[in-house]
Amino acid sequence: MREYFFWLTAWLPHNLQVTMWVLTKIVAILAPLMLCVAYFTFAERKLIGYMQIRVGPNRVGPRGWLQPIADALKLMMKEIIIPSRANRFLFLTAPLLSLGPALAAWAVIPFSDGLVLADIDAGLLYILALTSMGVYGVLVAGWASNSKYAFLGAMRCAAQIVAYEIAMGFALVGVLMVAGSLNLRDIVLGQSGSMLHWYWLPLLPLLVVYFIAGVAETNRAPFDVAEGESEIVAGFHVEYSGMAFAVFFLAEYANMILIAALTVLMFFGGWLPPLEVAPFTWLPPLMWFGVKTSLVAFLFLWFRATFPRYRYDQIMRLGWKVLIPITLLWIVVLGMVKFYTPIGVWFA
Amino acid sequence: MLANYFPILLFIVVGLGVGAVAVSVGKVLAPHKPYDDKLAPYECGFEAFEDSRMKFDVRYYLVAILFIIFDLEIAFLFPWAIVLDEIGAFGFWAMMGFLAVLVVGFIYEWKKGALEWE
Amino acid sequence: MTFLQFAFYFFASVLVFAAAMVVTIRNPVKSALFLVLAFFSAACVWITLQAEFLAIVLVLVYVGAVMVLFLFVVMMLDINIAELRAGFTRYLPVGGVVAVLLVVEIVFVLARTFSPQQFANPPSHAADYSNTRELGELLYTTYVYPFEIAAFILLVAIIAAIALTMRARAPRKRIDPVRQVQTRREDRLRIVKMKSASRTAHRDQQDDAS
Repeated sequence: MREYFFWLTAWLPHNLQVTMWVLTKIVAILAPLMLCVAYFTFAERKLIGYMQIRVGPNRVGPRGWLQPIADALKLMMKEIIIPSRANRFLFLTAPLLSLGPALAAWAVIPFSDGLVLADIDAGLLYILALTSMGVYGVLVAGWASNSKYAFLGAMRCAAQIVAYEIAMGFALVGVLMVAGSLNLRDIVLGQSGSMLHWYWLPLLPLLVVYFIAGVAETNRAPFDVAEGESEIVAGFHVEYSGMAFAVFFLAEYANMILIAALTVLMFFGGWLPPLEVAPFTWLPPLMWFGVKTSLVAFLFLWFRATFPRYRYDQIMRLGWKVLIPITLLWIVVLGMVKFYTPIGVWFA
Repeated sequence: MLANYFPILLFIVVGLGVGAVAVSVGKVLAPHKPYDDKLAPYECGFEAFEDSRMKFDVRYYLVAILFIIFDLEIAFLFPWAIVLDEIGAFGFWAMMGFLAVLVVGFIYEWKKGALEWE
Repeated sequence: MTFLQFAFYFFASVLVFAAAMVVTIRNPVKSALFLVLAFFSAACVWITLQAEFLAIVLVLVYVGAVMVLFLFVVMMLDINIAELRAGFTRYLPVGGVVAVLLVVEIVFVLARTFSPQQFANPPSHAADYSNTRELGELLYTTYVYPFEIAAFILLVAIIAAIALTMRARAPRKRIDPVRQVQTRREDRLRIVKMKSASRTAHRDQQDDAS
C-alpha cells in the first residue's frame, strides 16, 4: 500500500510525499471513526429503546438507518446562539478543546499488528495526558457561557472528571506492571497465548475500576448528574446549540469508543483471537478488535438503560474513597505476587 | 523515534481542524437572527436575578490540589512500573516507602473530611 | 533547515508569544489559557530533544492538574481588573530597578557560559531508546533518597492544603451514604394484611349518610 502510494506521488518532493501519506492514514482513521460515532448514537437509541420494550427511531430511511444523517443535517441548520455577554472567542473554541484530545488519542491506538498511525514508546502515557486535557473543554464552555447553570455544571463536571482520572491512572499503572512497556502494541502482544493470558485475569479488580472510571470520565449514566436533564439542564453545554453542540456530542461519543478500545487493548487482548485455533483464526485480527470494542461499548449503553443516576456526593465518594484504595491495594498485591510468590513469573 | 511524533502532530492539527470546520459549517449554513430574549442566559424561563459568578467554594480548590498530588504520584509510578524487572525488590520497596508516605497523607485527608460531601 | 530545526523555531516562538500574552493580557482566564499554550509548546520543544517522558508528563501534570487548579480559582474569583491596575504606577520605579537588575544578572551568567562548545547537541540515541526506562532505572535505585524526600514534600503539600483551607463547619445533619445504601426494604416498609371492609357494611353506611 505504502509503495503504491509513493509510486503514485513520485512527482512530489519527498517531504511532501511523507506528509501526504500520513494525511491519508489520518483520514483512513478519522472517517470511519466519525461514521462509528454517528452510528453509535443510533445504536444507543435503538438498543435503549429495545431494553425499554419499545422500538427506537425507525422512520428516517429504511428501518431508521438514516437517522444519524438526519440528526447531523438538522444540527448543521440550527442557529448557533451565542448568549449575551458571553465571551465569543472562548465560547466557540471550547468545543474544539473537547474534540481535539478525543480525536488525537486515536493516533496511537493499534487496530491490528502494525496498523497504527504512530507507534510511539510512551503510548499509554500519551493517552492519559490527552484524557487529562478533556477537562478544559468543559471548564471553558461553562465559564464562557456566562450562565449560572452552565458554570456550576462545569465546575462539578470538572471535579468529577478529575477525581476519576486518578483511579484510571492507578489502574493503568497495574497494567504496566504486568505488561512491562508503555507501548500499546507491546501491551497487546504480552497477552498473546489464549484467553487466559489476557490481562483481565490477573487484573480483574483493575478492569472493573478502569471501566467504572471510564464511564464516569465520559459523564455517562449512571454518573451523568452534571449533564442530566432533570438535574442541571444539560450542565455546561446548556447554552450551546447547533453545530457547536454537535461537536461536544461527537467528542463525548468518541471518548466512549476510545475508552472501550483501550479496555479491549489493555485487558481483553486487543486484536488477538480467544484461542489460536482454527475457527477463531478465520476472523482477521482487525475484526476481532472491532467485535471486542463493540461488546465493551455496548456495556456503556446497557449501563445507561439499567442504572439510576448517582447523586453527586455519591459519585465523589465512590471515586475518592472506594476506587483509589482498591487500585492502590491491588498494585501492592501485584508487586508482592511478582516478587515473592512462584506464580510471579507467569505474567512477568 | 522522533519520526513517530510527526504523525501525532499532524493528527492533532487535523483533529482541531475537523472541529473548526464543523463549527464554521454550522455558522455558515445556519440562520443568524439574534434578539434579546433569545440571547438571555438560561434561567428556567425568567430574568436572571444576579451576576452569574458563584460564591467561591473552597471544596473545588481542595479537590484540585489533591488531584495534583495524586497525579504526581501516578507520574512517579509510571516509570517504576515498567522497569520493575530491572530494579528488582529494592526498587519495589523504595516505591512501597513512597506509597506508604502518601497513604498516610490520604488517611489524613479522609479523617479530616477533605473527601467528604463533594 | 531541516524539519526538526523548523519545528524547534516554530514551537519556541509560540512559547515566547504565549508567555508574553500571559503577562500582558487583561482577562485572567485568557491569561491562564495562554499559559496552557505555553506549556504545550514547551512540551513540544522537549519532544524535539527526545525527552518524550518528560514532555508528556509536563502535559499530564502541569496542563492536566496545575492549570486546572489555576482555572478553578481564577474562574470562581471575580477579579476586578480596574482596581488591580489602579496601584500599578506607584510601584513602577521600584519594579523597573528590579527588572533591570534581573536582566543584567541573566546576561552576565549567559554570556559567560552559553557557547556552542559547552552546549553541544545531545547524543543521538539508539533506535529503541526509551526515555522512560532510563529515568526509571536511575530514579528508584541511585536516586532513591531524593525520591523519598519527594514523597515527604507531597505529604507536606497535602497537610498544608487541608490545614489552610478547611474550615470547621457548624455541626449539621449530614448524610452518610454508607448507611443509606445499606438500608433494607424491611426497615422502611411494612406491609400489613388487613381485612377489607365488607360490601354490605359499606352500603349501610352510605345509606345512613345520605
